[in-house]
Amino acid sequence: MDTTNGEEVVERQIQVKFVTKLPPALRVVSSAFAIPAKLGRYGLSEVVNTLLGLERPQPFDFLIDGELLRTSIEQFLLTKGITAETTVTVEYIPVVLPPEPQQPRAHDEWVSAVSGFNSKFIITGSYDNHGRLWNAAGECVVLLQGHTDCITSLAPIPAPGSSAKQLQLVTASKDHTLRFWQVALNEVTSSTTTLKPSKRLKGHTSSVQSVAASPSGNEVCSGSWDASIKLWSLRDEPEGEEDTGGKKRRLETGAVSSTEKQVDARATLQGHTQVVGALDWSERETIYSASWDHSLRTWDVETAVNTHTLTSSKALHCLSVGGEGNALLAAGGADHVLRIWDPRLPGTVAPVSQLSSHTSWISACKWHPKSTFHLLTASYDGTVKLWDTRATIPLVTLTQHKDKVLSADWWKDNNIVSGGADSQLHIYLKLNLSF
Amino acid sequence: MASVVTKRKTRSQGPPTPEEKPKPKPVVEDDGPIPEVIVAGDDSDSDPEISTDGEESGEDGMSEEGGEGEAESGSEDEADGDDDDFDGSEYGSGEEGDESSGDEEEVDEDARNYVLDVMKDFLTGAVGTNGEGGKEEEANGNGVGEPEGEAEGEAVNPTAAEESDSSEDEVPDRNTIGDVPLEWYKNEDHIGYTKDGLKIKKQARRDQLDTFLARTEDANEWRKVYDEYNDEEVELTKEEIDMIRRLRQGKIPHAEVNPYEPYVDWFEYEDKGHPLSSAPEPKRRFIPSKWEAKKVVKLVRAIRKGWIKLDKPKEKPEFYLMWGDDLKTSDKTANGLAYIAAPKTKLPGHEESYNPPVEYIPTPEEVKSYESMYEEDRPKFIPTRFPSLRQVPAYPRYINEIFERCLDLYLCPRQKKDRKQFDPETLIPKLPKPKDLQPYPSTCYMEYRGHNAAVTSMSTDSTGEWLATGSMDGTVRLWDVQSGRCRKVWDFGLKINNVQWNPNPQINMLGVAVDKDVVLLSTELGGEEVIANVSSLLTLKEAGAEESPLATWGLDEKFKSLRVRQPFVVQSFVWHHKGDYFATVAPDGITKSVLVHQLSKQQSQNPFRKHHGRVVRVLFHPQRPFLFVATKMHVRIYNLAKQQLSKKLMTSLNEISSMAIHPGGDNLILGSQESKMVWFDMDLSTKPYKAFKNHTKDIRAVAFHKTYPLFASCSDDGTTSVFHGMVYSDLLQNPLLVPLKILLGHKTVNHKGVMDCLFHPRQPWLFTSGADSIVKLYCN
Repeated sequence: MDTTNGEEVVERQIQVKFVTKLPPALRVVSSAFAIPAKLGRYGLSEVVNTLLGLERPQPFDFLIDGELLRTSIEQFLLTKGITAETTVTVEYIPVVLPPEPQQPRAHDEWVSAVSGFNSKFIITGSYDNHGRLWNAAGECVVLLQGHTDCITSLAPIPAPGSSAKQLQLVTASKDHTLRFWQVALNEVTSSTTTLKPSKRLKGHTSSVQSVAASPSGNEVCSGSWDASIKLWSLRDEPEGEEDTGGKKRRLETGAVSSTEKQVDARATLQGHTQVVGALDWSERETIYSASWDHSLRTWDVETAVNTHTLTSSKALHCLSVGGEGNALLAAGGADHVLRIWDPRLPGTVAPVSQLSSHTSWISACKWHPKSTFHLLTASYDGTVKLWDTRATIPLVTLTQHKDKVLSADWWKDNNIVSGGADSQLHIYLKLNLSF
Repeated sequence: MASVVTKRKTRSQGPPTPEEKPKPKPVVEDDGPIPEVIVAGDDSDSDPEISTDGEESGEDGMSEEGGEGEAESGSEDEADGDDDDFDGSEYGSGEEGDESSGDEEEVDEDARNYVLDVMKDFLTGAVGTNGEGGKEEEANGNGVGEPEGEAEGEAVNPTAAEESDSSEDEVPDRNTIGDVPLEWYKNEDHIGYTKDGLKIKKQARRDQLDTFLARTEDANEWRKVYDEYNDEEVELTKEEIDMIRRLRQGKIPHAEVNPYEPYVDWFEYEDKGHPLSSAPEPKRRFIPSKWEAKKVVKLVRAIRKGWIKLDKPKEKPEFYLMWGDDLKTSDKTANGLAYIAAPKTKLPGHEESYNPPVEYIPTPEEVKSYESMYEEDRPKFIPTRFPSLRQVPAYPRYINEIFERCLDLYLCPRQKKDRKQFDPETLIPKLPKPKDLQPYPSTCYMEYRGHNAAVTSMSTDSTGEWLATGSMDGTVRLWDVQSGRCRKVWDFGLKINNVQWNPNPQINMLGVAVDKDVVLLSTELGGEEVIANVSSLLTLKEAGAEESPLATWGLDEKFKSLRVRQPFVVQSFVWHHKGDYFATVAPDGITKSVLVHQLSKQQSQNPFRKHHGRVVRVLFHPQRPFLFVATKMHVRIYNLAKQQLSKKLMTSLNEISSMAIHPGGDNLILGSQESKMVWFDMDLSTKPYKAFKNHTKDIRAVAFHKTYPLFASCSDDGTTSVFHGMVYSDLLQNPLLVPLKILLGHKTVNHKGVMDCLFHPRQPWLFTSGADSIVKLYCN
């Protein structure tokens, strides 16, 4: 504390120690500094830049006690009830800068589903009943043709070992069926090839709204407007082996055949009273489902029993499991708020955090596959937002879409893909996430 | 003493027998000084026991009085021993009474009424004393009213003699019931008995008119007095009237009695050389009566035991002013309103004096400063000093002040009006807060854009996945509710009046009312079986091809659908909940305005021969076979199974525009063009349970939610009101209706605002369609 003479207001100073996990080139000395308490993120960033003496100034974000600094330090400490007398340890991380939007890929119709599961291709499902595979150059390489109604959702199937050669995916459609597709990646050329589904998963009595594949890749589950969740086995029967070969052959020859194999549901999970809006099957034994009946249910796969139910106050459209310990449930719906539940907390049904910045329904949410803090949401207000759960304000808002955003996903860890009602697939590259 | 007892017995038997009554009379004649006794005896009718005793003692105990009485008195007085001068011989009378009272005590000691009688006796005696002051002096005040004492004292009071005379002169009573309350005979047709024991019949009383006539005719009528006891009219003599007049004037009744007669000195001592004393009896010679003392003791005992209550509590008046302020009754006007006295003028103080103290007089600066003040703030009167009262000038403000005073009096409130002090908030019924009644639609999240003209009608499928809208631009659109995508457009080219989705999910079909047609469209949604089912229903049957005067079923080539053509423009139609029947309303059809069509047989029928007014809407009961027919002013409920009118609802509306029924089937809401919405509880009454005036213009549509306790109304003023409408299964509990939210957002085009409102079948969401060709979805 120093009091300057004259009428200047006494300026509070706070002892701050900067730490970071960044490479040594970006580390500052670990001694404590006295800095003015009214400094915010920008001021602190300037301080760190000065200390580092970088040629090109680099913006930083600052974490105090695991929370991102969004106000001045003084106010932050006040609201958190941290005493300003001790040395405050501040961790700095590079600021997440808005990614670079790429040229949008035009579709014939609204893009209802998008997946960035495969590192080379982006898969989209559209209201023109077709699925598409786009390569990194922005060309549509495969057209998945087979549904008779619009595709609502798609789920790539993790196939350990064969991911480089073959891409398997399941699409859900309003024609009450799901289709299973196998794309031989080495066959893919830059020109568009049309592909027929290899299996037809039939059994729902109403439109299929959501689909998710098991981590093992052997099964998929689907949620429908008939309020049921059905489990489908994709493992081929003994005689099915030849079929797979046959399909490959067909694909090679490009012959169009309607002899797609029909698969019946292995099990049905009954419990929801309304349409199952979203499913997540990221753990081997557990399926999470979100429904318009305001409930979030956890199902045990082996016994097909509903083990846990969380209730929201709004209809739920999307669900993602991830985050800390890969256990947080993020779900959004007919509301502008994204709610995150922690099912591990005993005895609570209230969400642990609510992220509200959108102005309309949330259509998609996705945890970052690796980071435990980063989360992506898409909304009908035409924006895609990137969230850090350590802050209540979104890190980045992407406003490239001109209409409702219907789906969004991560692609190759630090890129974002999104599709919407403007019939465009937007790709945002080079997001510098630090995790 | 035995005789006393027997006498008492005979007396107590009831009304005196004719043998008994005249008995005292000879006694009167025998004994000179007894007349008082007679009087007492006559009185004795009122308190028979005691006076009988008096009589008895007067009659029988007279002879043995002397010795016995004196002996007793002597012993008793010795025991008392508090009197200085004892003169036994003189106060024999006292002793006599004493003895008799002692007897009474023996006979019935604790009888309360006896004591009361004693007291009465005592009191009458005292009255007698007051009346007969002369005797009192002689008896030295000890024989207070005791008849025997008076008899003993030789003094013959002329008044008493007169009285006895008059009592002798009295005509004996015709009636012999004695001194009993006359109301005992009130309900009898006789007033009592003659001395022969015959009943005396009641005479007919004259009415007032007769009395009046008699008075005018008979000059002596006014002398007549009705004797209630004997039930006869007695004409008073002149002497009697004179007596009454004298009594009224406070004089002695008998004119011949001179109360101021010259004093007669009974003691002659002029010639007796040495008179004993002319001095009045000294007070020390006063010996209190033992008899009296005993009576006092008795009274005291009675008081102590609570037989006599001395200070009776004051009787409260039976009726009193309940709200009256006892102290300020004079403040009340005749109306019971309190009035306010006219305001008083302020009295002049030192200031107004002609020579006020110096400190009251303002300095010239102050006076100057007054001029700069506002007129209202300026002091009205500036104290000024004058050397003498004579030099005080005329008061310049006199007229003004008088005028102001008059104004004050004129404008002052004259009555204190009791205004009820209550909080207006308390008048509002206690309703739960809308916050606690969530969920309800509040925010618009989705807009379905695509129509080019006002959207007139909406309908959703049973799951709420799809929404169909019909518009004035001639198109019917099918929307995906979740994504807001228009899936399909049917272009009819004519204004769409109504769109209704078949409620049966197995018949996924859309009914569209266009002009004179109802077109049944296949939505091509649902499974293959459903689509096949629908397409089979939508093929024309042979039977339906027959020409019918009501409606023609035909195929529509353009949309591959069925077309039911009617002779008049179909304004609205409604599906039965099973999806096989639908009813159409063509208001211009008059007798054929309501038709019921069967889809499976492709037939139409007209269930009503005539209608009472122009039919606006029809509605099927959600569970039971009832059809609601809304004309402009009434709603009639027909039982379709029995084919009869089951109820008629008095809506108190003039222009019903829309109708919706609660899914429970017992409650109905109606919207009207006079911007009123009414709620009917049909179990409760055929009159509205509640009316809402929540819009400023015509109500276009009302809607109930299928599962949530919500209902809504939309109006041409561009607003949609959402209400909470909880219906309880308990019949005793009335529905709870709470206004929740007014949804704004639609623009008014051509004086048309929100054309239709519809709840999502499963979510607490509300679709509204506006004249601005937009369909909005409001979510919770």
